[in-house]
Amino acid sequence: MSDNRSSMGRFGSDEREAVTFSFDGQEIAARNGDTVAMALWAVGEATLRRSSREGRPRGVLCNMGICYECLVLVDGVAVRACTTVVRAGMKVERGGTPGE
Amino acid sequence: MSERVRQAQVGIVGGGPAGMAAASALAARGRSVVVLDEGQRAGGQIFRQLPPGVAPPAGVSEPPSHDHGHELIDAFEGAQVELVSGATVWDSKPGRLWFEHAGESHLLECERILLAPGAMDRCIPFPGWTLPGVTTAGALQVMVRGFGVKPGRRALVVGSGPLLLPTVTALLAAGVEVVAALEASSRWNALRALPGVIGNGARLREAMWYMKQLVRAGVKLRWGWTVLRCEGDRHVERAVIAKVDGQGRPRLGTERTIEVDVVGAGFGLVPAIELGLLLGCDSRHLAARGGHCLVVDEQQRTTIDGVFAAGEIGGIGGAEVASAEGALAAAAIDHSLGGPAVSEPLVKQARAERRASDAMLRAFAPLPGLYQLANDDTIVCRCEDVPLSEARAAAELHGRSSRAIKVGCRAGMGPCQARICGPSLQQLATADPACEMDVPVVRVPVKPVRASTIVNAPG
Ligand SMILES: Cc1cc2nc3c(=O)[nH]c(=O)nc-3n(C[C@H](O)[C@H](O)[C@H](O)COP(=O)(O)OP(=O)(O)OC[C@H]3O[C@@H](n4cnc5c(N)ncnc54)[C@H](O)[C@@H]3O)c2cc1C
Ligand code: FES
Repeated sequence: MSDNRSSMGRFGSDEREAVTFSFDGQEIAARNGDTVAMALWAVGEATLRRSSREGRPRGVLCNMGICYECLVLVDGVAVRACTTVVRAGMKVERGGTPGE
Repeated sequence: MSERVRQAQVGIVGGGPAGMAAASALAARGRSVVVLDEGQRAGGQIFRQLPPGVAPPAGVSEPPSHDHGHELIDAFEGAQVELVSGATVWDSKPGRLWFEHAGESHLLECERILLAPGAMDRCIPFPGWTLPGVTTAGALQVMVRGFGVKPGRRALVVGSGPLLLPTVTALLAAGVEVVAALEASSRWNALRALPGVIGNGARLREAMWYMKQLVRAGVKLRWGWTVLRCEGDRHVERAVIAKVDGQGRPRLGTERTIEVDVVGAGFGLVPAIELGLLLGCDSRHLAARGGHCLVVDEQQRTTIDGVFAAGEIGGIGGAEVASAEGALAAAAIDHSLGGPAVSEPLVKQARAERRASDAMLRAFAPLPGLYQLANDDTIVCRCEDVPLSEARAAAELHGRSSRAIKVGCRAGMGPCQARICGPSLQQLATADPACEMDVPVVRVPVKPVRASTIVNAPG
């Protein structure tokens, strides 16, 4: 878990519908239209995967689908968290190696 | 979208300022146009819009260039143009663009292609840059301006180039304290940009607007400073920053430690030329414009028949260059399809914008000393987890070409296709910032798509 729960979050007003999904078994409240990466960041979860050789924590680098640092498993399939839009009931797990 | 194969006279990749300006102008000339863009809404990188239902806090203003952006978007949305949002172009041949949309495989057949895919942040590795909470400068802009997410409490913005300013103002708009804003280039270098800025009214207004925002928030842009390393356990907790000399080399004894929980690092932008290379277009390396750029002539034609390019793909230049080149490309494409000759003012306008931006970018020429920030253990290829020491060993053993380095240590073989490490790998591995840069190797799919998309590709 990260220590950043209080500092990350949202700003401005947001009238979008709430959507919940699970991340490593924990329930996460997101907003309709969020990407998985942004929904997790907003609740202080910045570590999305472990690096391939050293198992070091990694998270969003580019936030635009280029770098693959945000690979997570969504319902068992490896996808980029920053380009995957949340769906209610989605099962998300921390990713591992960005194998091809 | 149900038809898997569709036709248009012109297929445009990218709905940023370049693609939007071109599409509107082509539609006004009666051409059928389809714009393919990965994003969810038109606007590209600069005119990124918040999702419907999200409003920024009261009192947040926009830079003057965004007036032009709203005009571009309004004209684009009012034009007879088909925009396919969420469409990823992954392969192309002259007259054909293959893309994935909503998980399905599609083909656009078109008489002319316009490439306007923009650019991405340039990363230069430094110790601790892989820690969660350390992102590109662009990533933070996307977070704030595209999603209404607050990146953290205390931020460091670091790197080089005009894009640090919008990153700072985005963070301020989100209520983040910007502890430090560091531009590696020296104040002395910055003076060289002045003629380009002062000679161009729009650029001057834009720069003044940003400076005013920084002054109001009490944030000082420090010239000749950069980050030495980021530290933290599982998330960035602090950064060590220092002054650098005119070459970008850290000055001993100037180190300072600051507590931050988010870092946005952007050392300029790199043109996204992959689709152009795939089509066989020539490129050339122009360091001041961000690296390998697609070659275009005075009418935005690439070296491949029927393929045009506009905006950052031909070299970093900003939104003004992009929209001027988009309008010019539209006229040239129309002419190539039998329309009237391209009017001189369009050519002049695009050239004038390029001159102004080239003049400005002179202040932010890549500094060789920044390639010394990484140490032996610093990861240079994040996909394959390759530290600098292994990349150096590979270059020594196998040779200085990007291919040799890749074979030797796997750097650049991962899923990002070397988009992140490629622009700095050779300089780092050879310890020679002035080394000759190989043209990137591209492979299909240029953007990741499902296996089924490739197998089921029409045509
Ligand atoms: C993160 C970021 C933030 C920026 N912020 C600013 C700013 O605040 N102020 C400023 O002056 N400049 C900014 N820039 C610079 C900006 O790129 C230019 O000023 C301007 O947007 C360039 O216009 P363009 O049309 O060439 O490309 P872009 O605006 O980048 O548009 C390119 C479009 O092409 C799409 N695309 C790319 N490849 C594909 C593909 N294979 N398939 C489908 N679609 C594709 C992208 O989704 C994108 O929407 C920013 C750049 C980046 C990367
Ligand atoms: S953060 Fe780079 S691909 Fe998602």
